[in-house]
Formats: sequence, C-alpha cells, structure tokens
Amino acid sequence: MRKKRLLARTPVLLCLLLATLFSYAQNKTVTGKITDQKDGSPLAGVSIVPKGSARGTSSAPDGSFSIIVTASTRTLIISSIGYGSKQVDITGDIVNVQLTATNASMNEVIVVGYGTQRKREVTGAISRVGGDKISEIPVPSFEAALAGRAPGVQIIQGNGLAGSGSVVRIRGVGSISASGDPLYVVDGTPIIADPFLRGNGGAMNQNPLSSINPNDIESIEILKDAGATGIYGSRGANGVILITTKRGRSGKPQFAYSNKLGIATYTKKLDFVDGPQWLQLRQEAWLNDGHTGYATLPQGLTWAQASQSNTNWWDLLTQKGFIDDHSLSMSAGPGKLKTFANLTYSDDQGYLKNNAYSRIGARLNMDYNVLSNLKISLTSAYNRGTNKRVHAAWDGGIGDAMSSALPIYAVYNPSHSDYYRTTTNPVISLNEYRRRQTDQRLLGGLALEYQPIHNLFVRGNFSIENTRSDDDQFNTPQLDSSKHTGFAQRSANWGTNETANLTANYLWNPGEQHKFNFLLGSELQDYTRKGYSTDPITMNTNQPFWENSGQYNRLRDSLFAAKVPITEVAQERFTFNSFFARINYTFHDRYSFQLIGRVDGSSKFGTNHKHGFFPAASAAWNISDEDFMKDIPQLSYLKLRASYGIVGNANFGSGLYYDKYNRGTNTYNGLPTLYLNGLGNPDLKWETLHNVDAAAEFGFFNNRLTGELAYYYKTTTNIILNPGVSPSIGFTSIYRNLNNSKILNQGLEFSANLKVFDGKDVKWSVGGNIARNQNKVLEYELGPDAVSGGTNDTRIVKGLPVGVNYLVRFHGVDPSDGLPIWLDKNGKQTKTFSLDHRAYVGAVQPDYFGGFNTSLQYKGLELSSLFTFVIGGNIYENSAKYQFLGVSKKFWNFRKDFLDHWTNPGDIARYPRLVADAASYPGVPSEDQFNSTMFLRSASYLRMRELTIAYRVPRAALKNLFFKDFRVFATGTNLLTFTKYPGGDPEITRDFENSQDRNLSPNITYLTAPTQKTFVFGINANF
Amino acid sequence: MLIFKTTNMNLHKINKINILIIGALVMAGSCSKFLDRPPQGQLSKDQVFATDSNIVALGNGIYTYLGDGNFTGGRVQVLSDVLADQLDGSNLTGDFSEIYKRQNSIFGGTRDDLYKKGYLIIATSNNILENLQAVSADHQAIAKGQALFFRAMAHFELVRLFAQPYGYSSDNSHPGIPLRLTTATNSIPRSTVKQVYDQVIADLKSADSILPADAEDGGKFYTATKWIAEAYLAKVYFQQNDFANAFLYADQVIRSGKFQLDVDFTSRYSLGATKEAILRLPNEVNHFQPGSEFISNWRSDTKFPTLYFTSQFYNYATGDPADKRTAWYSNTIKPGYNSLTKFNFNYMEQPLTHLTEIYLIRAEAGAELGGASLATSVTDINLILTRAFGGTSRNLSGAATASAVIVAARTQRELEMVGEGNRLQEIKRIGVRAGNSIDRRGSPWNCNGFILQFPKAEQDANASFQLNPEGGCF
Repeated sequence: MRKKRLLARTPVLLCLLLATLFSYAQNKTVTGKITDQKDGSPLAGVSIVPKGSARGTSSAPDGSFSIIVTASTRTLIISSIGYGSKQVDITGDIVNVQLTATNASMNEVIVVGYGTQRKREVTGAISRVGGDKISEIPVPSFEAALAGRAPGVQIIQGNGLAGSGSVVRIRGVGSISASGDPLYVVDGTPIIADPFLRGNGGAMNQNPLSSINPNDIESIEILKDAGATGIYGSRGANGVILITTKRGRSGKPQFAYSNKLGIATYTKKLDFVDGPQWLQLRQEAWLNDGHTGYATLPQGLTWAQASQSNTNWWDLLTQKGFIDDHSLSMSAGPGKLKTFANLTYSDDQGYLKNNAYSRIGARLNMDYNVLSNLKISLTSAYNRGTNKRVHAAWDGGIGDAMSSALPIYAVYNPSHSDYYRTTTNPVISLNEYRRRQTDQRLLGGLALEYQPIHNLFVRGNFSIENTRSDDDQFNTPQLDSSKHTGFAQRSANWGTNETANLTANYLWNPGEQHKFNFLLGSELQDYTRKGYSTDPITMNTNQPFWENSGQYNRLRDSLFAAKVPITEVAQERFTFNSFFARINYTFHDRYSFQLIGRVDGSSKFGTNHKHGFFPAASAAWNISDEDFMKDIPQLSYLKLRASYGIVGNANFGSGLYYDKYNRGTNTYNGLPTLYLNGLGNPDLKWETLHNVDAAAEFGFFNNRLTGELAYYYKTTTNIILNPGVSPSIGFTSIYRNLNNSKILNQGLEFSANLKVFDGKDVKWSVGGNIARNQNKVLEYELGPDAVSGGTNDTRIVKGLPVGVNYLVRFHGVDPSDGLPIWLDKNGKQTKTFSLDHRAYVGAVQPDYFGGFNTSLQYKGLELSSLFTFVIGGNIYENSAKYQFLGVSKKFWNFRKDFLDHWTNPGDIARYPRLVADAASYPGVPSEDQFNSTMFLRSASYLRMRELTIAYRVPRAALKNLFFKDFRVFATGTNLLTFTKYPGGDPEITRDFENSQDRNLSPNITYLTAPTQKTFVFGINANF
Repeated sequence: MLIFKTTNMNLHKINKINILIIGALVMAGSCSKFLDRPPQGQLSKDQVFATDSNIVALGNGIYTYLGDGNFTGGRVQVLSDVLADQLDGSNLTGDFSEIYKRQNSIFGGTRDDLYKKGYLIIATSNNILENLQAVSADHQAIAKGQALFFRAMAHFELVRLFAQPYGYSSDNSHPGIPLRLTTATNSIPRSTVKQVYDQVIADLKSADSILPADAEDGGKFYTATKWIAEAYLAKVYFQQNDFANAFLYADQVIRSGKFQLDVDFTSRYSLGATKEAILRLPNEVNHFQPGSEFISNWRSDTKFPTLYFTSQFYNYATGDPADKRTAWYSNTIKPGYNSLTKFNFNYMEQPLTHLTEIYLIRAEAGAELGGASLATSVTDINLILTRAFGGTSRNLSGAATASAVIVAARTQRELEMVGEGNRLQEIKRIGVRAGNSIDRRGSPWNCNGFILQFPKAEQDANASFQLNPEGGCF
C-alpha cells in the first residue's frame, strides 16, 4: 500500500523536474556558492551582480547561485548587508565566494519553516539554540537540554526515570484537553512526538523524542509567534521546534569523536522515618484516636514481627548508574558530493536499579549537486532506544519505597526461602519482573532542489518516518508464588508517517531597493500507526520475548492462523493536506514585511469543518540603519519587529468526531457483543489562537551587549474540551470546541548577552533570559471541578490561570488539642473540614522562569555554567497527604519533615496531631479528601543546571599529532538546587494520564522519582 | 516524456508550464477521501443499525454491564452493604471509608463509576429504543422489551442509592435522579422520586407485555423474559410498600413454574447449578465473568477480605448452629476477621434476582395484606426455613400471626441475602413503613448521609444541578 502511494506521487514530481531540464545555449552560466568565512555556513539572499550590469541574482537558501552573464563579463560584485561587498573575478564556470561578516549576529542564518532567513530580515519571534548546547550535557532526552537556553520556553525536565520526557511550553499554555506541546519538525518533517502512544503504562509516558540523537543536531530553532509559526497554520499555536541535523561540509574528510563517561544519581530524595520510629508514631496516632493497647498493624502483622524488620527500601532500589556515550562522525565534501555520517551509542543507567536507557543512532546525510542547478539531498537516520523499565510512582518500585513499602516489612521470609509476600515488597518485582521497551525510528527524506530559471527555486521533498515500538514485559516464575512458569508479553505497534511537500521560491528584485521572496507550497501528510487486534500477545514461558524473538514470531504467526485470527488494526491515523504561501518584501534592506497564509485540511477535523485558513502578517524595521540613529555611537544594532496572526492547535487525537461503537472482545452466552463507547461530534475543529508579538532586538557597544525584549498577547478560543458533560448522559466526555471560551497568555521576555572581556587570552561572557507569562482563563462557563486534570488537584476557573490549586486553606494547628484549623470560604477559622471551604490558593504555572549562564575562558581553559530558575507558582504534593497520614490506617511511609507535628497540649507545631483514621479530623470524609494547603508549596527554585570545565589543547601542541582539535571536559548537571520545597526535587514532571493532565498538572507530584544528577567527563576530538 | 527545446526566448513559457504543473500537483492533493480516516475497530451508527445481529449484539453488551463489577456485578450491592449496618468498617479506606461513615462527598471514583455505568446502560438502551425502526419485525419486540427492562432496572437501582427512599415525603416530590429517556446530551435536572418510580413501573409493564415467557436458550434464562420484568415489578412495588402489587407480581413469577428453589442454598452463585435465577448472567471462561466486585471485596480464602462483619452481626447470624447458612461465615479462615465465605470463588454465575427473594417478597407482602394471602405467606416462609435448617424444626405453625410472619420474613431475608446488598433498602423500607429506624448503627433511616452523593460533574456541567446534603447520620 505504502509503496504504491509513493509511486503514485513520484511521476508528478519527475514530470515536473524533467519538464524543466534544459540548457542555456547563448551566454555563459556561472554557478557557485556563497559561504560565511567564519564557519563555512551557506549565505542566502546575497546579491550577485555582473559588474557593469543592473540585473543580478540572489543566492539560494543553501548559498548557491547560478547566473547567466554575457561572454564578456569578467567580474561579479557580491554584496550582502552585514557582510560588505566583494568583487570577484570570473575565472571559470564555478565561482565560490567566502564573505566576512561585519556584524555576525545580524547575519546569522535562521531556519524558518520551509526555508531560511537572515536574522536581520526575520520578522517573527525565533530563538536559536546551537547543537553544541544540546549535545554537551547528558540529559534523558534532547529537549531537556533546551532548559534555560531560550526566553519564554519553559522546560520541565523529565523525572528520574531513564529516557523520560520533559514538559515543553512555549509562551504558556492555551489549551485544556488538546495538547499544549509544540510541533516538532525534523529537517522539514513533522514527526510523531505524542507522549501518550502508550498512555500512562507503568506510571511513565513513553517519550518518542528520547530516540532522537542529540549528537545529530546542528541547531534548534524555536518558533514562538504567528510571524514564525504562521507557516504551520493549524499546528502553529503551541510553537514549533525545528530541528536541523548536521550536513556535510565542503572540503576534505573530517572526523570527530566525542564521548562522555560518568555516573548518575538523584538530585534530592525524601527522608522517611525508620522502622522503630514508624511503630512509635503509629502507636502515638492510635492512642490519639482514643484507642488503647497496641495499635493494629497492616495485613495482620504482629508487633513482634514488625520489630524484626527495619528495611531501607530506597537503598535496596537505587544505585549509582553508569553513563556511557560515544559518537563518531564524518563530514566530507569532495566535488559535488557532500556527506555527513554519524554513529552514536549511549547508555544511561540512571539511579534506579535495573533501569537504563540506551540508544544507538546512525545518520547519513548527503547532498549531491547533479547539475549546477539541480541538487539531490538525502536525509536519513536510524535510531533505536531501548528502555529497560522498572515500576515507578503509583505502579510500584521506587514509588513503593516512598509509599506503602514500610520499613517494618521484611524483604524475605524468616527462613530466607522466599520473598516475604504478604506486605508490599518492591524487591520482588525488581528481581522478578523485567520490562524492555524498544523504540525504533527510521527517518528518511529525499529532496530535489531545482533552479529551472533565474531566481526560481523549486524543491520537492518526500520523507518517511517509520517507527516501531515493542513493549516487552516478563514475569519470572518467582514473581507470583502460585505460578510455576514465567509469563511473557509484547505490545507492538508500528507507524508510518509520510510527508510530501513541494515548494516554489521565487526571488524578485524589481529595483535596487526592493527585494521580494515569494514562496508557494503544498504539503501532504499521512500517518498510520498499527498494532495487533490482540494486544498484548502473551504466553507462559520462561524466556522473555526479547531474548527469544523466534518464540514470539511463532506465537504471533499461530495467532494469524487461528480460527479467529488476529488482525492488524490501525490504532491511529490522520492526514493533513495543506497549501501555503509566504511573501517577504524588504525595502532598502531596512524594512521587512512578511505575509503568510496557510490552508489546512485534516482528517482530525469533523465533517462540518474540514478546512481552516490561517493568515499572519509581520514586519521588522532595522531602525539602527536609519540616519537619525547613526548619532548614537553606543548603539550598534536595533531592530523592531511586530506580528499578528491566527494559527491553530490541531494537536488532539484522530477520529474523535465519530460515534464510537465497538465490537466486544467478550461474548455474552457465547454470542457477540457490541458497545456504544462514545458519542461523536461532527463540529469538532482546531483551536484558534490570535497572536500578537512586538519586540526589539538590540546590540550595544559594538555588539558586546546584545539582546532582545519581546512582548506577546495571545488569546485562544474554540477551546477543545473533553470532560465536563453531564455524566447522566452515560458518558463523561465528548470532544468539542467550547462556546464562549477564551484563554489569555500575555507576557514579556528579556534576554541579553554581555561579553565582559573579549580579549585574546581572556574571554568572559555572561548571559541570561527571563520570561513572565500571565495566563488567564478569560471566558469559561463550566464549574470549577468539571476539569480536574485527571489524577491531580488543579482546576480551570474563569479569571484564573489554567491549572489552579483549589484547596481547603490550612491555617495552623490548635496548640490546645493539636487539631487542624481551617479557613472557610469567607476566611473564618473553623476546625471542621469541608470540601465547601475550598478556595483558589495557587497555580502550577510560574510567575517568572529563565536561565543565566556564564563562560570564562583563559587560553584553552574554559569554565562555563548554566543556571535555571523558577520564581513563583506552586507545587502540590498530592502524595504528601498520604505520607502524613502514613501512620493512620493508610499505612504509608512517614516523612521526617512531618516530625514537626503536635504531640502535647501547648505544642506549637507545623503539622497537626497524628490520627489513626483521617476522619478523626472533624469533617474529613476520608484520607482521599484531605487536600489542603498543608501540602501546597512554593515552586521557586534556582538550580545549577550545568557546570563544565574544559581544556582545549592548543593547536601548536597538536601540530605533529593525529588530531586537529582536542578538548577534554568534565560536566556536572543539576549539581546544586536551592529551594525551600520540602518534598525533594522541585522540578516535577509526573506521569500524566493525558494531554489535559499534562496541561494542568506539571508541578503536581505523586511519588515522582526525583530528577537525575550526573557527573561526566569526556573528550571531543577532531581529526 | 516531455522534451522542451529551450532558448532564452521561451523562458516565460516554461515558467508558466511550471506553475501549471505545480498547480496540478496541488490539486491532486485535494482529494476529499484523503481527509477521511475513520478510526478502525469501531462502527458508525449507520453501520450498527443496519443489521439485526448488531442490535442483538448491542443488547448482549448490556447484559455484560448488568454483571459488570461497576454496577450490579457487585458495586451496587457492595456499596449498599458498606452503607448499611452489618460491616466492621474500621479498616476501610478512601471511598469505602467515607461511604461507610455515611458522609459520601462530591468526589470518589468508586461511586462515580457506578453512576456512569448505570447511565451507560440507560444511554445504550435509549440508543436502541430510538433506532427500533431499523430492526426487523422479528426482533423488534425482544429488542424493545429488553431495552425497556434495562432502562427501568438501572433507573431503579440508581434512584434507591442516590435519592431518599420512596415514602420519604408524603407525595414523593423529593428529588430523585435525572430521568433519561433519550440520548440527548444536555444536562437535565433531577426528577422527583415519584416521577422516577412511575417511569420505572411504566417501562417494566411495557417490557412485561412484550417480552417472551421463555428465553430462547431453553430454560437457562440467560436473557430477559417477562418474568424478570415481573420480578422487578415485585421488587419495585415492595420497595414502595405497595404490598398488593408486590404480592401480585411475585405470585405470578412463582406460579409461572419456570423457576425452582435450589435444594442446596450454596448453589445460588455456583457455575451452572442454580434453578433460582429469574435472569442469570453466565460465566464464560476467558470471556465475560460476572460478579467480580463481589469476589474482590468479600473473598476471604486467598486474601484478607476488604469487607467483613462486626462481631455483633456475626454472632447474630451464626447464633443458631442448626442453621446450615452458618457455613457462609468464618472467623478462623483469616483470624481476626469475621469473614463471609459466600463469594470464595474464582468465578461465579450471577442471578439477577432469584426465586428466594421473590418468595420472601410474597411472604412479607402476603402477611401485610392478611386474609387469604397469609396462608400463602406461611407456606412460603416455611419453604425457606425448611431448606435452611434441613428440616421443619424451625418452621412457623400454620396459625402464625401476620406479624410473626413479617418478623420471620425480614429475618430470613437478611440471612438469606447476606452480602447481596439487601439490608440497606430494608432499613429504609421499614423506616418508611414503621416510622422508626432498625439501623444497628443508630442512624435515622432518612438521614442525609444514608444515600450517595452525586458526582460533582453533574453540578459542574450545570450549576443549578441539585446535589444531596451530606452527612448528619451520627
């Protein structure tokens, strides 16, 4: 099927290309490439004019140009703003030119959707992060390395499980049930990045991004406003992250090898009381509730039995993990062919025993100039991530160590012949349960770039992303004492994501001062992910499937041959069909204007709204080039820019607008069953975002101080909501666009970089960024509990930010009896708890966040550091209420910070008296309904994200050696954290149930494993 | 293949051709089918209501809901027992704990799931009823009768848990539950208890008039017959203390002769053994397995039971060693726990209403009616007693008074139907009948917390939705 479709499209593309293959007969054609002298990067939009002629051309996005000149022409005038002008003699058919920047930052080439632009002409809000910043620190997944690097881009690093994904929010969140995650585009292909492909299995969201190889990344551009994301239409609302991979450079083959070796541990852990103290506290709670004698213990345990164990479960489940990362790459560009190849192996064991994420990656990118005006580019990569999973959070493992695995529980029975199985025992699953999730991604793209005529660039790109995920679980015979054989299962799915786009780019310079760039394009995307109708496939066996794939294959084949055969079923499929246009106009090299329009059709949209139109307009003014600014000597660069546009959010599931009737997997009395499982909605469509951005980009003191100040105002309407329907209709959710709904995100971003010293031997720079986002639900008609983020305690309320904490206010402890004092709705003190007392007391979104960095260089020695910070916002410790009630009949571990509780009349204590039953606090219905500000914390923290010390061996010393460049370094991540948060690590990405949970409940923790802390050392060598 | 002779002269022409080709490619993409990706593995409404077999299958799906752990496959009965007065609730946590304490609050998945499942039965039933025109005449009566029965039983089970009982107010104008008779998705307010009962009775009577007397499965009663509609009519009227109608319908079910009391009282939940079930939900190995919630909460042989009795009730129920039903109890299988052994199975078959209950309804209703019915009542109660004691030693005399029969019927009902969620509604029905509370835990029968709270979501969808007042039972 897939091949057929590809073939069906190919002739059209071929016709297009063949139709335009022609040669010029009369004048001579000069081709070549313009590059930056500094780093060899291609320069686009450079003016190339034959001396003595008025008509010239501009270089293509890859720096290439082709110009027809009269036979008598001897010289070309090459000029570009920020690079000055250069006269070059025509000595042959090919003229390659290197230009030297007069103002480097202004001329930086920025990747924009479907092309590149020079920074000074960019009219949208785009932050660029270089690949060196991505690959230099060990992170569970590449996006975590963006933390603190780009203003307005909030990264909450994944938790301590190896390979876990971060929450990425670009300029706030404007969605409730639809995803607030950005669109990820790798080399022009929108990739599959949905963290819910496997739901929340095992208390971890599968992170498809973790298989992306950080060592492949040349740069990441983060598109933030409509001026930038408008070209992505219905998928631009949450921002777009463009990942550009490395390509081969001209010249002789160059090799690079880098590695990292080190260890991983946890940033901060929670401290719990030991066995004897737990028993003592249990007895205290028991007596407090008016009971007499010895307190009852869980699962019929006697005090004598309990006193025999004092197990430290945390220590039994954790380790110092080993980090091991090697990357070998080659870049070569002899003649017409340029190649980049990379091989990477990495293994991050993490600090949890038996947990590890390893990745192998291979990349081959090739560019071949078939003709001076025809280039074929191959972009291909294979990545395989293997995640050795362990139970976590509510699913056990380290989660048990923080909850129901009490120190008074034994690991083994008294004779040590078996595990002790009556009480919670995470060591059993640590030893007897294994899970291995293997994610493979093959991303291949073939692009043809053709310049049929002067200034017209046609580019056709076809790419396929194949993903395959095998989630294997295996129970040894010892996991469950009643079983005599092991048990293996595999849940497999595989996806194909095809994208084809065709763009035509026409440069038109109707006069010296006018430059136009027209882009017209269309794009098709077709995604299907399949699995088996029986999932997982299971069998009783003593070998896991990953050790014996033949066993699995035979079983699967037998199921295909069964009387009721299994089938391949599409789990998800969607299509996009898009047309887009962009016009850029630059006047006087000073005023830039951009218009974007995109029409998106998608199978995700209901039958009544199949297509949407998304326009955006933006402008930039390089005001420092104006005569009236020339008088300010300190000012080296000032650009003002503004944009307005309408973009959409189509980041929600497929096929949601259909009524859902499913055939049952069960029969009733041997007869088939059928179920009505959901109601459809043909009106379902994208969310609409109106986006305004205004900013100033500046440079002072000869650009030693550079930076940007930006303001944005975004309102999202037609908000997609799934829950909030009356449950008596038989369903609790219907995907629909809410009437009268509006969410505001407005904010300020500031970033600056200062070169304090910029000497020959000593260089010192400091930089940083800070962003303030005001998030507010402007219009919303449902009640406060209609949307509760799945498993957390945050809410959506008109007039307040998305994800507010709606809790009973805890005022303090009554010194006379130790009972908690609450505040009722009116702020009046009461000792009777009630859910009616709940009030809006906080929000999970921070007031400010950002990062700052510094780098000090002395000759070859470099010390650099990055700090990230969050100011304001709240963390709700959803598991702390149970940890506080640990010595009640909830029977959980008791945290040491709760030792500050009331014990005797007159005590001034932070926490109330202990109880054996939560309902002993007047009005508390049960321990589940004990949510209050007692466990609401400030989310502020400052973290030393990275500290690197590196030494680059001087070139002179390498002269007679094999190496061209040699650097050694040592890096620590998350070494220091400054916070008042008592619950461990303040950077919290818990396991989420769905996108809504992810939007509403970052900063809600439930037995979340703390983030990794790592120390590595390594080398970078070029030869 | 296209070959162009090219010179500078025709540059413009080529340019136009290029644009045309690009245009053609763009158009090729706009095929409407390309934007159509119906989810696989599911059917549309049109596809479902195209064949009778699909509609039958939709009905079969509802049968599995009846045995579903979230609804009458245990949750309804378990929460009733947690609210009632036989259990020791001191180790219950979470939702069970607050329901036990009769202070059920606005949140709680255990309760919400029950509510959702009940209304899913109603929604699916309405979905069938709204599309009956698609069903062939052969199947229409059964499809309609089943759907009406399902809708009635779900409304009845829900109104008993979420609203104060019938008789709480003199005209039963107190708030009941949302009465859903269509698949419309708007929020609707609570109907009065009277409106709900009237609709339940109307639906059951319609079902009674069109359902067959014999199930197609040859006496297994795996699907609904008119007798399950009548059994429910007997239950509904009995709950209303409408003894004449309760007697009438119980009598019709008994006299149908389709059902027999099991000789051995333990076979009621055994696989394939019971003759008592008016509607029987069969267990299928590796397929539909009813009653999971009974097993998971009561089971006491392979694990510590979640639910177990107070010593007071345990002693009461096991006080007469001659009673063979004392085999249902043990305080040694898990020392320290007064356990029930009735559901110590891996799998069970579930009768949705059994003949024992129908006999007990006829017995009590007959005694309440007096006159000629009293003799029937004595015979009925003695059938139960004879089975329980393995002989006639505890039987009532033929001259037993009406009040003695009522006392015996109530006692035997509690003992026979232990663990079946019966006691809660008896406390309420007798409260309405007698005006006093028989609750062993000392709550008034009509206190606020003696019913479940609605899911908060009802009020979030519509601020004017009236929630129940909470607590106040102790």
